[in-house]
This record gives sequence, structure tokens and C-alpha cells, in this order.
Amino acid sequence: MDQRLTRRGFLRLGLGAAAGGAGILLAPHTRDRLARRAEAASVLAQGASLRYHLAGTDGWISLPSASSSTYHPDGLAPAGLSTYMFGFADVTGLDAAQIQAMKNKCQAPAPLMYFDEGQGALVRLTNLGLAQRPDLTDAHTIHWHGFRNVIPMFDGEPSSSVSVPIGRSLDYYYRPREPGTYMFHCHVEDTEHVHMGMTGIVFVRPAQNGGAPGIPPGRYVFNDGVPPGDPRSTAYDREFAVLLTEVWNEAHWDDAHIQLPEWSDYRPDFFLLNGRVYPDTILPHGTPPGRPDLAYQPYSSLIRANAGERVLLRFANLGFLKQTMVLDGIRLRVVGKDAVLLRGRDGSDLSYQTSTISIGPGESVDAIFVAPEVVSGEATYLLYNRNLVGLSNNGEPGLGGQLTEVRIAPAGTLPPQSAPNQ
Amino acid sequence: MRPGTPGPLIRGLATFVAFVALLAAVRGAAAQSLAVPPNGIVCTTSADDSFALTATDGYISLPDGNSVYMWSFASGTGPFQHPGPVICVDQGDTVTITLSNTLSQPVSLIFPGQSDVLANGVPSQPQFSGATLTSLAPAAPTGGSVTYQFVANEPGTYLYESGTNPGVQVQMGLFGAIVVRPAGHPDWVYADASTAFDPAHEYLMLLSEIDPYLHMALERGQSYDMGQYRPRYFLINGRSFPDTIAPNGAAWLPDQPYGALAHIYPYDPVTNPLPALVRYVGVGSADFPFHPHGNHSRVVGRDGRPLRGDGGEDLSYEKFSLPIGPGQTWDVTFSWHDAENFSPSNPIPVTVPNQQNLFAGAYWSGSPYLGGTGTLPVGGEGYNQCGEYYHVAHNHALTQITSWGLTMSGMMTYTRIDPPEPNSCP
Ligand SMILES: [Cu+2]
Ligand SMILES: [Cu+2]
Repeated sequence: MDQRLTRRGFLRLGLGAAAGGAGILLAPHTRDRLARRAEAASVLAQGASLRYHLAGTDGWISLPSASSSTYHPDGLAPAGLSTYMFGFADVTGLDAAQIQAMKNKCQAPAPLMYFDEGQGALVRLTNLGLAQRPDLTDAHTIHWHGFRNVIPMFDGEPSSSVSVPIGRSLDYYYRPREPGTYMFHCHVEDTEHVHMGMTGIVFVRPAQNGGAPGIPPGRYVFNDGVPPGDPRSTAYDREFAVLLTEVWNEAHWDDAHIQLPEWSDYRPDFFLLNGRVYPDTILPHGTPPGRPDLAYQPYSSLIRANAGERVLLRFANLGFLKQTMVLDGIRLRVVGKDAVLLRGRDGSDLSYQTSTISIGPGESVDAIFVAPEVVSGEATYLLYNRNLVGLSNNGEPGLGGQLTEVRIAPAGTLPPQSAPNQ
Repeated sequence: MRPGTPGPLIRGLATFVAFVALLAAVRGAAAQSLAVPPNGIVCTTSADDSFALTATDGYISLPDGNSVYMWSFASGTGPFQHPGPVICVDQGDTVTITLSNTLSQPVSLIFPGQSDVLANGVPSQPQFSGATLTSLAPAAPTGGSVTYQFVANEPGTYLYESGTNPGVQVQMGLFGAIVVRPAGHPDWVYADASTAFDPAHEYLMLLSEIDPYLHMALERGQSYDMGQYRPRYFLINGRSFPDTIAPNGAAWLPDQPYGALAHIYPYDPVTNPLPALVRYVGVGSADFPFHPHGNHSRVVGRDGRPLRGDGGEDLSYEKFSLPIGPGQTWDVTFSWHDAENFSPSNPIPVTVPNQQNLFAGAYWSGSPYLGGTGTLPVGGEGYNQCGEYYHVAHNHALTQITSWGLTMSGMMTYTRIDPPEPNSCP
């Protein structure tokens, strides 16, 4: 069933990619805030369509380990799975019975969401409850982390607004005005629900994708105002969203077994990229052949590009520890942080080249690299956590954790990317 | 929320107490001492820029019901307080700080970011006994004192802290903040018009942590293996949420005088054009990745220096996560814009479920609109007063929004956004 969901999810992403940017005029980078107020009146006239429908529930995922302990794999886990999760399931377009059937089938991480600058859209959240914990009647919310000037109603912080009880739904309205890479998560019992896996990446495509004076339509990270080829350009050919999270076995086991961890003892055992650990990170999207245990971890982190292409990496960290990702052998240019173009108010270019991306909890980084020439066949580079503890699975020998491959093919080998992370 | 754990009950009670007091403080502003507004930075000033700090001990309260032994700096002969007084001076002032020590160990003061500091009239230097470094600065022995002096040359936000046995003493609470205002411009962060802010909305967020076993050991006169160091409490201005949103000088927190609630109005080009200022200071052992909801913050200064290039370039930047590192200070401006201007006549494009189909938060007004009110659950907390908005601001290393087992606590506070005036807010 998850094959179907995953395929449908990517189909929708593809359609969105094709539609994105059409007919949008470029807004100046520093728009007059007053003008924005005037625009507000047109919200309803524009209409707001339901873009995504997420269901908050629990579920199980598979994290590999050669050994077993009290906490891993969890003795309550269904065959082949290891780790109890809270998370979001993608129920976009499903009917009521199909949605209800997704209880206990959350995915890790949450579905990747993206929006076009200036376009109002709705995200519906349905709370299906926790199959493994019928005693636990937690509400859920969606907090779009970093969304500017949000009203509490759509911020998802439960004390200042409202949250969604079991069996109920709530629509969140977003009209993003600032492009870049963000993240989202449930904000109910924040420490627990975030660590348990209610986390995902959301990004906003700039109006400049529709073209601007002197700038052809294309794919840009920000409204950078310069043509492709300018050193300050944020143009790219392919994009990959990479979410960093952690799993502390004890906390996950505790939630399945009606226990609570002491959070200040936090010490994660697994370090994940897009919900998987190496070597699973480089397997295909969806449920990889021969790996039914990855049915609830649908996102590959394999990065593929043709030589000469510009590749955008959208990093976000919803773990509780600062990490440093290294790309060996290829220079990265950091063009954005926290959904802000690295450019001063006076136009000073603050972007920089590096091979390390340090990223703390709740931060995002947009970095572009140019895929190097390949001599023959495919060239492989490694993107990995230089905090080498993050390269272990469950503290065991061998490489695991936050590591993935960047594979560069000769120019013209791969067709254009039709959806993020493809 | 879950049955069978003590967290929710304690959390509910503590939130209730804090918020009732907040209401009282906001309503009864006239009853507050003029010198201590209910929220915002509380400066300790001196006509001749001379200050007296007394290293002493006492206890602070934490929202899980615990009470923790602390060392801290009192103002002169005043009562124990944590953190130490916020020393505010003007650029160019010659600042004199006399430290008196009542603790059982020698204590000193260091002033990171200040230059040419004098101790008892001679340059303050690291202290050695033979080849052994004994203190980062000349120390006052038990019962003794040292007078430090420096010229506050550069505007910005700074830290003062003990330079003696600092791994233990700073953790025990011997620290405080210094604010240096640019000459002639108390409404600028730096001597730079691009750092203008509204002085009525200036906030300090002094971020720290506590390992209660260390504190217990020192209370009992025992030694402590710092290899076992593990913080369990996470504080803003010496308080843990929900005490952070209680007013300055709250009567039930007699030794923790500084609140951390930010209280602002929406941006308006005519009536509210200037941003609020938040001065962050990190006093912990690692980055505190602080995340204020509602809008990005603009970082205009770091460690007492404006973000300007040598050629005058504007290097300030906006961020939604502020990783406040150990010993760092970050000066950020913050404002909230009513971007969509939602109101009953420009309604949100979604239907708000009725009460039976949602959980209402304690600070929710019952209405999505700024200044609006609506039906709230009977018997609910209902702390909202006049349709004001609240946005949480918290550490995103989420293990640090706990208090040794109590969740949704720790390094967390709120930004309160009132409807534009005239409003019905008390
Ligand atoms: Cu949740
Ligand atoms: Cu967040």
C-alpha cells in the first residue's frame, strides 16, 4: 500500500514542479511591506486550494543493527521493523475510509512539502490517534518553522493557538512570501513529538522562477535579481532536500512501552538522513526492491547529477544536536541560511564557499555545487557527518548514519529532474 | 499530556500562577515601582558609574517544585539575587565595579570584550602561583574585595563572570550582563542609525544551565567530579518556563527578579515603526539554538561589535534560529508584521472548528484575529486578555525545554503582541 502512496506522492510533486512559477511576476527583493497589506484583500478572491493532507499517527520503521539490546530492536515491533515512531502519513486525496486505514502507518520523515511564493494554499491535518498507545490522547499540530509574520492560528504552537484532537481535522492556511528552505513539525509536547519523528522539510520556490527582466524563467533558490552565470546567481538544475534527525532508542522504546525518558540524558543511537541511515540512504525512493522493511521510510538521499550541472542541497536539522556535513572533493557555495539569501541590506554578497555545512537544531542551509567533470563512467563522492559519531549505526563498527553518495554521470546522461530529490 | 505522570499537574499550576501574576502586572502597571517595569530589561545604573557586587549564596525556585542552591552577585548590600544585576552604562563611561566576596572560595571578575581592565589600579592579569594558573584575574579572598575599572569604549552587550575556578563558579551562577549604550543614542544598539530600536521594547535573554548535582555538592561542602557534569535545568534570566513569563520582580520569585516576556505591538509605519531589541547572552557549555516564533530576527551585533565590514558594508542578517554560543552575545532586532491583516471583514480562508473539535491553548483568545475574542472552553485556563497574540520563543535543542523531567518548561518564553492602540487591553 505504501508503494502506491509513495508513487502517488511523487506524481503529485512532479505536477507541482511543472506548474510552479507559471504566470508569477517577479516581486522586488525588498518589497514595500505596505504593498503586501494591500495584497491581503485578494486572498479570498485568489482562493486557497488544499495542497497537502497529512495525518498524525504512530507507526514503526526499520533501523539496522547487528546486535540487540533492551531498547533496540523493540520487542513490540512488527516483523522486520525496529523502532516506534510518531509521524505524519500522506493522505492527500484519500477518502475517509482510506485515511482511517493509515492509522499506525506514519512515514519518516513527513512528506516533503513545497509551495510557490505568494500562492495561498491549505494544508489539512487529521489526527488519527496512536494505535500502540490508546491511553495517550495527544493532540497534534503543524508548525511551519520559520514562517514569517504568522498568526498564532496557523503557527501550531498549541498553547498560543489550537491543536487537533484525535478524530478531528484542522486546515492551515499559508501564503508564503519569502522563498527558501524551511522545516515543519508537530509542536504538541514538542520534545517528544519532534524526537518521535513528526518532522519534515518544506520549501518555497521564488517568484523569480517565472522569469524577470533580464532573467529567464528557471529554477532559483531566491529572488536573487541576477542572471544565471552571475557569480551571485542562485540558479540550479537539480535540488535535493536533506533532513537531519536523530533516534535515541530508549526514548522511542519508552513511548511504545508507556514509559518516559529523562530528556536531559539524551544520547542518540542513530543519525538519519531523510528518515534512513546509511547504507539504506542510497537505496531508491519508495519501498526498494527486496526491502519491505523500508515501506515507511520512502525517501532516498542518493544525489545524482550530470557533470556540469548546478545542484542545490536544501539542508534542515530537526535533531537536537548540531551536526557538520562534509562533501569531500567538491566545493559548496552556501547561498542561504534560514530561508534568507546571504546578501546584506546594502547588497553585499555574504555567500561563501566551503566543504562543511554546520547546522544546528532548527536551522536550514541552502548550498549549491557544480557537478565536476567525470573521466569515465560515474564518479562517486561522499556527503557525510564529520561528527564521526554520526557515522555509526547504534554504536556498532562500520559506516552508517548520516552518510550518502553523490554520483555524477557524464553530461547528458540523466534526464531533467521532474521532482525534488529525484 | 498523559495520565500517570506528574508533569501536567505541576505544569498547569505553575502556568496558572505565572499567568495570574502576569495579568496582575499588566493590569496594575501603575502599582509597579517606576524603576521596574513589569517586563523588559531592568537596568542597574549609577550616577558615577560605580557599582558594588557581592558574591553570595542563596536559592532559586524551579517550576518542577525544586529549589537549587546558587552562588550569585547581589547588588551591594542588597539581597541575594540571580542572575547578578544588569549593569547599564554609556559609551565612554569609566566604570568602577567593586567586588566583595562572602563565599568560601576566592572570587574574581572578568569582563570579556572590554579592554585595559584595571584591578585595584593595575592591569588585570591572569594570576599564577609558580607555574600554575590560579585565576583569570586578581581575586577577592573570602571576606575581601577587589575594585575593577575599565572604560566602556564600545557599545553593545557584554557578560561579566567569575574568572576564578570558572568551570564551577560560573556554572554556580556567578555571572551577569553589561549593556553599553552609544553616546547620545540610547535608542540605538550601536553608534549606527541602522541599529535603531524602540527603547520601550528592549529585552535581555541571559541563557544558562544548571547541573543540580554540582550545586548539591557545593551546598554540602563536597567536591564534584566535573567529568560527571550534565545540565538538567535551562534558564532565561535565572528563571525556567513558565516563571520566565512572570513579571519583573514577581513577589513569589523574590531571588529571581528578571522576567523574559517580550511585549510588543505589530509593526506600523506611523505608530510603531521601530523594532524591539533583544540582547541574547550565552552562559552555558554549548550552543543554545534559540528559536523565536513569529518572525525572523535581524542580527545587528555580536559580542559587542556591530555587523559592519571594514569598508562599512552592512553585514547584518536575518535568521529564524539563533545559535547563542558559550560566552557569546547577540544583539537582534525583532518586529511582527500583520502581513495578511486578517479580520472579521477579511476572514481567514478556513473554518475554525467549534470547541468540541479542537483543543484550545491556555493563551488562545478564541478568535484567530488580533484583538478578537471568542468562546473558550468552560473551566479552561483562558489567560488571554484582549485578543492579543502570543508567540513562543524557545531553545530548539528540545531536550533543553525540560526541567529535570518536567516537559514544556526550561529555556522557553513568549512574545506577547497586543492589538494596535486603541485597544481593550488592560
Ligand atoms: Cu504531535
Ligand atoms: Cu521548530
